Amino acid sequence: MAVNSKKERRGMWAAAVPMFLLALTCLYPIYFALNNALKDNRGYILDRFGMVSDPNFENFVTAWGRARFSEYFMNSVITTVGAVFVLLLVSSMAGFALAVLRFPHRKLVFVLILGALMIPVQVILVPFYQTIIATGLLNTRTGLIISYTAFFLPFSIYLMTAFYAGIPRDLTEAARIDGARFFQVWWYVMLPMGKPALLTLGILNTLYCWNDVLISLLVLQNERTLMVGITALRGEYTTNVPLLAAGIVLAAAPIVIIYLLFQRHIVAGIAAGAVKG
Amino acid sequence: MSDATNIGSKAEKRIAVLFLAPALLLLIIFRLIPLGWGFGMSFTDANNAGTARWVGADNYLRAVNDPTFQDSVANTVILLATMPMMVMLPMLLAILIHQGVPGGKFFRAVYFLPAVLSSVIVGAIFNVVLRYDGSLNEFLAVFGFDAVDWLGSSSTALGALIAVQLWSTFGMSVLIFMAGLTTVPEDIIEAARIDGARFWQRLWFIVIPSLRPIIEFVAVVTTVGLLTNMFGLVYVLTGGGPGTATTLPEFLIWLEQGKLNRPGYAAALSMFLFVMMAGVAYAQIRIMKRNAEV
Amino acid sequence: MKLKLTLTSMLALSAGSALAQDLTVWDWKSGDPATQGYYDSAKQAYEEAHPGATVTFVVQPHDQYYTLLGTAFGSGQGPDVVLLHGGSQTQSRVGALSSLGDAAAGFAGVDAFSVDGTAYAIPLTIQGFVIYYNRALYEAAGLDPDAAPTTWDELATVCEAFIAQDAVPCFAFGNKQGFSGEFFATLATASTFTDADMAAWAAGDLPWTDPKVSAIVTLFADMNARGWLQEGANSTAKFMDEYEMFMRSEAAHTVGLLSDVAHWKQFGEFLGDENLGAFAMPVPGAEVANLPFTGGIGWAVSASSENQEAAQDLVKILTDPTREAIFAFDTGALPANPDVDTSGLSSPTLTHILGLMTAQPAGMAHSVMNPAVLEEWKRQSQLLLGEETSVDDAIAAMEAARLANK
Repeated sequence: MAVNSKKERRGMWAAAVPMFLLALTCLYPIYFALNNALKDNRGYILDRFGMVSDPNFENFVTAWGRARFSEYFMNSVITTVGAVFVLLLVSSMAGFALAVLRFPHRKLVFVLILGALMIPVQVILVPFYQTIIATGLLNTRTGLIISYTAFFLPFSIYLMTAFYAGIPRDLTEAARIDGARFFQVWWYVMLPMGKPALLTLGILNTLYCWNDVLISLLVLQNERTLMVGITALRGEYTTNVPLLAAGIVLAAAPIVIIYLLFQRHIVAGIAAGAVKG
Repeated sequence: MSDATNIGSKAEKRIAVLFLAPALLLLIIFRLIPLGWGFGMSFTDANNAGTARWVGADNYLRAVNDPTFQDSVANTVILLATMPMMVMLPMLLAILIHQGVPGGKFFRAVYFLPAVLSSVIVGAIFNVVLRYDGSLNEFLAVFGFDAVDWLGSSSTALGALIAVQLWSTFGMSVLIFMAGLTTVPEDIIEAARIDGARFWQRLWFIVIPSLRPIIEFVAVVTTVGLLTNMFGLVYVLTGGGPGTATTLPEFLIWLEQGKLNRPGYAAALSMFLFVMMAGVAYAQIRIMKRNAEV
Repeated sequence: MKLKLTLTSMLALSAGSALAQDLTVWDWKSGDPATQGYYDSAKQAYEEAHPGATVTFVVQPHDQYYTLLGTAFGSGQGPDVVLLHGGSQTQSRVGALSSLGDAAAGFAGVDAFSVDGTAYAIPLTIQGFVIYYNRALYEAAGLDPDAAPTTWDELATVCEAFIAQDAVPCFAFGNKQGFSGEFFATLATASTFTDADMAAWAAGDLPWTDPKVSAIVTLFADMNARGWLQEGANSTAKFMDEYEMFMRSEAAHTVGLLSDVAHWKQFGEFLGDENLGAFAMPVPGAEVANLPFTGGIGWAVSASSENQEAAQDLVKILTDPTREAIFAFDTGALPANPDVDTSGLSSPTLTHILGLMTAQPAGMAHSVMNPAVLEEWKRQSQLLLGEETSVDDAIAAMEAARLANK
């Protein structure tokens, strides 16, 4: 809706001022991280707030090499990509079944899945760990991929179900009457049509998996993902803030870039899926 | 839908089972079974070393009489009371961007940045901003305000924590509202505008009613976040203090589980948290069911 | 359950087929660059003694360390060797640890790792609390840096001088997460507790209404009321905001450590050795001030390890004189092994501290108390600083916590 009058336009400009200040606070972390990543630890302790005077890239080199971030980076990429792939596949299948197919106890199954969304990680920490051990998945990347899938699945299924429920029924109905097998309906009709929602979920789940610390700590104990590597930089007593900042810049950069590239698609996906009018 | 189509053919049922099997198996093995396991543990004095004795409802009785746990529940209630604000503010921002506020595209890109950051860096930054000699107090001093120990006094610590949580999640909600706004029928708004409806009138009578499903959706996401995702911020910003001012159930569970080495008691606290969530969850599942038209 | 059994047995089989003497070690230290030499040396020594075997050191984030360790011990699938803090963190977990026999005999602070005379870990470092002061700031305030306070009244005079001068606070004080409160439980009792008191205290038998115990609360509140402490202490992290403040010469005193960080070595590097001094915390009612210390961190063998002997070998290597010397020289920690030659570690402040440790040793009350009661004291200490509770209410709350966790 377009703006009505001069008065409203003035109102818009007045609103822009606090919104701009808010935007500045959102940019501040980037300045904070970059500025401190370029200091050395002694320089940081002696002057925490000031601009860095003689920038050096030592911390990035240290983080990447000695702190083994190059290895951690690979672990993060493999588990995130793997988990997102499995999540999309499984949630799209389940969403299709819940939204399109007819079978007994459908509502109950849906409620069960949504109920699992409400189980906080902390509630099941120890038993979850024991399950991981019992299934022989401890210290495997597969184990972490499966764990991520299990934890982020309910939300993904919800979004896919909502999305598929919004697709005009005639379309799937026609396919069924034509005698198309259900599998083919899913593969040739539902998957392509679900692209916006899948893209949204892909990005959100990438964010969740990439930033996770707790699940990864439990499942992948002898190797590390990037975020755990960063958390481990915080010692018992000391935190080398410049090194931490460098690690955070390295870890956050891929996510920020992905977001900036795909932000339009995220909006489109959510619009089409989660929020049906 | 009629009863005849509600049941579906045999082939349809079979394929439904097949399509749901992976999801259900994962959820049952990794979430429901652990939940049941934890329930069992809550009746023992498990201490992570060998034998655990059955102690009946002792852990639950202890929790009910534990002043720290009582405080953490009270804090959760306060936290949940701020939920409407956490929904309305992003909605207003999204509407303004959608309305073409100057710089809207820039705001949309930038507002999401805090949502990308892990709580480690968010905490590190706000530690510097909110401490007694921090940037916020320096800023307020310019206007002649006395310094406040935002994170260090019981009266302000929880509020500060909530504000930081709002800051670090509002971008995601703005994004969802932006998406929802694209589904609001333009022509009706346009007609109302031509009829002379003011901005606030159009907002109140047309935009907000058509955003209702999105408002509900954001409320769900926000509430789940408030109940289960605050640990990182609490740990980095306040450590639960001062006193019990920012102690939340999930933080207390972590403390009992690890440092105090009482997993049986921690399991009992977990069950309380789960029941608390189940109450909230009931309302939410109803909303989500309706929105998903299942 | 059947599935679980099958899978567990499969797991056991695959673990059994691995090299018998491969060991996994958990700690929160091996990520620190300063400890690199120590770990490399231990790994090399073990692998030379056990050809074909490898040791893997896994650094865990300290904030999740005991949670992770609990889950690992609870499922019987833990690492072979673990690093632990002395006191209740070790003593509450002895059910999951192997007895180390007499391997720890003669080490300083071994009591902190023992239950009923049996040692469950070999100490690596000694930890203790001492007050460090900035000699340059003493001079600036017109005080004699060579006459450090030895009684509570002298300390009061010193702090009054800093308050009068109004340039820097008398104490840098960080009580976020309650660390200053925690340390104070030891500081306030080190000079007054007898051995019998300490034993009763550890057993939870000493009431908080006892004057020796309630001194923890009253002195803490008194220091705050007299304005000795920096402002905003509740939102200042002891590690490391408080210490960084001290290192920037923005406060006259700080309650520092003997090992790890915030010790004579780190402060000396920032302030210059000539500007640093140390004394034991004086309290009213005690003629001399004692210096509290005990075993800091130590290495233990997990009872569920399948390589008990190899794991014990590794623990002995990690605590032998060669290795402890490397650790001490690289990090400035005080070694617990009595055979380490510390004469190379020299600074006037350290010499003074070592003298105090010999002449006026005392135990650490905070490290042997019930952890849940300690948590309550941390909370009460924050409320006291914010003047959100009274001394009487705090004592009552502590006594209630003691009884609830006895």
